[in-house]
Amino acid sequence: MSGHSKEFPITWGMVIDIDKCTGCGACMASCQTENNIEPQPEASNKLRSTSWMLVYELTNDKAFPDHDIAFLPRPCQQCGNPPCVSVCPVVATDKNEDGGIVSQVYPRCIGCRYCVAACPYHVRYFGWYDPVWPEGMEKTLSPLTSVRPRGVVEKCSFCHHRWNLAKDAARASGKNPDNLDDGAYVTACVQNCPSGALSFGDLKNPKHKVHELIKNPNAFRLLQRLGTNTQVYYISRREWVRKLGDNYLKSE
Amino acid sequence: MGLDRRAFLGLVAGGAVGTMFTPIPWKLLDDVSIWTQNWSWIPRVPKGQIDYVTTTSKLCPAGEGLKIMRVAGNPISAAGNPDHPLSRGGVSALARSEVYMLYSPARVKSPMKKSGKGFEPITWEQAMLEMADKLGAAKGAVACVSGDGTGTVNELLSAFVGKLGAAGYFMMPSEAATAAKAVKLMGGKGQAGYDFENADTVLVLGADIFETWGTSTRNRKAFGDSRPVGQKPKSDYIYVGPTRNNTAAVCDQWIPAATADLGVVALGIAWHLLRAGATSAAPGFDTFKAVVNGGFGPEDVKRATGIAPEVLAGVAKALASAKAPLVVTGSPCGQGLGAAPVIAGMSLNLLLGRVNKPGGVYALPELATVVPGAMTREAMLAGDLPAFLKGVADGKTPAPKALLVYDANPAYGLPETATMAKALEKIPYKVSFSSFLDETAAMCDLVLPNSLTLERYDDLATPYGSGFCVYSLTVPYQKPVHDTRTTGDVILTLARKMSVDLKFDNFLQVLKEKVATLAKASGGFVAKDVMPWQVAAGKPAPALAGGDLWKALTSGYAWTMVGQVQATLGFAPEVLAKAIKAGKAPEKAVVLAPYAQLRTGTPTTGIPCQDLTTVPDTELIGESTFVRLNSATAKALGVKKGATVKLTAGGASCEAKVHIFESVMTGVVSAPLGFGHSAFDVFSKGKGANYLSLLSVVEEPGTGLSTWAAADVKIA
Repeated sequence: MSGHSKEFPITWGMVIDIDKCTGCGACMASCQTENNIEPQPEASNKLRSTSWMLVYELTNDKAFPDHDIAFLPRPCQQCGNPPCVSVCPVVATDKNEDGGIVSQVYPRCIGCRYCVAACPYHVRYFGWYDPVWPEGMEKTLSPLTSVRPRGVVEKCSFCHHRWNLAKDAARASGKNPDNLDDGAYVTACVQNCPSGALSFGDLKNPKHKVHELIKNPNAFRLLQRLGTNTQVYYISRREWVRKLGDNYLKSE
Repeated sequence: MGLDRRAFLGLVAGGAVGTMFTPIPWKLLDDVSIWTQNWSWIPRVPKGQIDYVTTTSKLCPAGEGLKIMRVAGNPISAAGNPDHPLSRGGVSALARSEVYMLYSPARVKSPMKKSGKGFEPITWEQAMLEMADKLGAAKGAVACVSGDGTGTVNELLSAFVGKLGAAGYFMMPSEAATAAKAVKLMGGKGQAGYDFENADTVLVLGADIFETWGTSTRNRKAFGDSRPVGQKPKSDYIYVGPTRNNTAAVCDQWIPAATADLGVVALGIAWHLLRAGATSAAPGFDTFKAVVNGGFGPEDVKRATGIAPEVLAGVAKALASAKAPLVVTGSPCGQGLGAAPVIAGMSLNLLLGRVNKPGGVYALPELATVVPGAMTREAMLAGDLPAFLKGVADGKTPAPKALLVYDANPAYGLPETATMAKALEKIPYKVSFSSFLDETAAMCDLVLPNSLTLERYDDLATPYGSGFCVYSLTVPYQKPVHDTRTTGDVILTLARKMSVDLKFDNFLQVLKEKVATLAKASGGFVAKDVMPWQVAAGKPAPALAGGDLWKALTSGYAWTMVGQVQATLGFAPEVLAKAIKAGKAPEKAVVLAPYAQLRTGTPTTGIPCQDLTTVPDTELIGESTFVRLNSATAKALGVKKGATVKLTAGGASCEAKVHIFESVMTGVVSAPLGFGHSAFDVFSKGKGANYLSLLSVVEEPGTGLSTWAAADVKIA
């Protein structure tokens, strides 16, 4: 893919240590309720259900006893050069805000699903059904994320509303909202992960842990050779896991 | 000049093209997309002031402290409380469900009385009158089953049932009960507590420590801390078990071993430690040494388990050379393991000198009871519910006249499910205090719904696995959504009606008394700036500001204490000699090895509705669950990927689809628990099969404990 990435002074990014992920699903469960995704009785139909954060099971494809597994949590990769943006006919998704978070404007989306087809990471979900909560459960909806009707595409926003809250909190305490402390803004999945497998921060801020983590020799990004320049990094000491991050030829 | 056809078409085409150069079509498209999304049936989000309050999860057995987000005073979501030592900001998928489960479709909305095959709602007053009458008639033969392993409500229930004349007080089977039996047989006292935070090499025998074993969220926090992202790990974790489960997936080494062989593996490692000169002053050491040397040499273990001698020699070396090694034993499915493997694992801790040491195993004292006539936790854990119910089903044990079921679902959550249901049917009067209409509640004569965590005062005292004594409170932050009551209060009201003196007027008083007792206990402190594992490692414990304890606990902090009961733990070699044999591995048998995960809830919660999305389609698809077996096993059985098979064992059978998964040892079929509900709601009911029904209860030689962590199974 050709093109260049837009640069932002603040670039929010995530670093996921695959060697610490137990695949428990706490990140997924946190994301569902944080972002007002409705409970789905037929959630086993993965082509029709929605999970902005999805934990994939990776294997080294060897037979017992040489088999190995790993879990890969997959939020939106927040590409620096997002394939979904260039295909959207109504500019419902864009990457033009400081922080480098790929936006998704639901009222503008016409549900054409070009972006779903374009995303190489399968992070985009089309709402096939109107969202329905069991009676009374709508009282537990988060006020920070709008509810989407059927027919539009949705995806992980790095809990963008939490950034707004963090900036407000910084302003209220007399701090600079454009230079948040490390940890002042984290996503719901990062906050709740019991193993501490997920780290979050400004990739360009030397005071943030992730700034150094992405330079780790074991850090890699998914399908890096596509040139998407993602803002989500993965770390694993296992070479076979790192190799699964891209489509390598056997000779490579 | 007239308008001819050519001019008209030109005008229309020109107009259409011209319009495209105006904002009109784009504005219309924008409006269409907005107005076609603005439907009245799409819920609107609530508005109001956001604030945060704290409580403790009672749905999740890991006992996390929770931070609840509220909007205009209404709870919205649950996250981990960073100040709570069992959470430290982490939360399981199950604990995360505490808020939305208030509105679960499976909730029991009011007291209900059996009427034909269904139920009819009744008032609390009617329910109390009926219960007083029926329990009065059943005096001398009232039994109780509780699934709450940590609550003071057990004191009320056990004292109440005891004063009515108990036919038995039983806890639902748990790792805690197995460990309690093991500690007792070893001559010890107290609850085994595991100090993961200070351990540097952890050998895990079977226990799914990051999912279903003990304080799993805290365990993962400790694991995560010893593995700083991007740095060399500061700890070494080794897992021994039949599958590379969620725990083994992040361990440094997985040693495949059948559940039935966990004790053999432990004693095989002991052999290497003894050979390297390990010794112990604990009672029974000489006999233990003789037992190990007599039957658990490298070749014996290899013959029985298939594990090469150098593998166990490597484990023994890693343990012996570590500064703070720790051995943890448990069931890969969170229940049904015998006490002997736990004793064998604990023997390794004894050999390594790791008992009551930082980073080792502590014998934690039990918190004092406050309700007169209440049973201790040790006494409650001594009951063997599967054995009791099996006796009732077979007619060997008299059925109690009445049964109270609190926070438990024995009709679903026990092995030999059909036998257990048969036993329950023999009990003439059954009352469930379940918050959800589960399988057991559906069988009961009366269902008196307990309020959920966010609707009631309750407490949590030292869940099994915690490396320190811990106590925290749950605080009600909203009125009950339905016509439910706190069971502690219901029992006290009932006791008054039946003239049974339990000393207290309401459950809040009980909890306040409990906290007042803790405030007087020496060595306790509120975990705030200093955490208990830091105290275990030598940091001075802060003083406890007495009068403020209730305030601190209702603010989300936990009372903790580091210490141990003084009792000498011995090797119990006689038990090991009887229970663990390094026999020859059976030929061609296929063993069912279940596994459990918190995301599919517990028998009392069903599958929390949002957690269903976290279940992968290699575990559940539509109404079918998958069992996992490796390609060698599949080939031997002649089954293929995706095929529907029938698993038969112990007179029961279940259907499953086949998922080829190479991280299951050959000869083992791994099956998920938590599915196959016949009750609850659309998120649980009819989803897959309950593989617990295939497991037979077998008495463990030497300990008499019921075991069922694995079973031979036929697959066709």
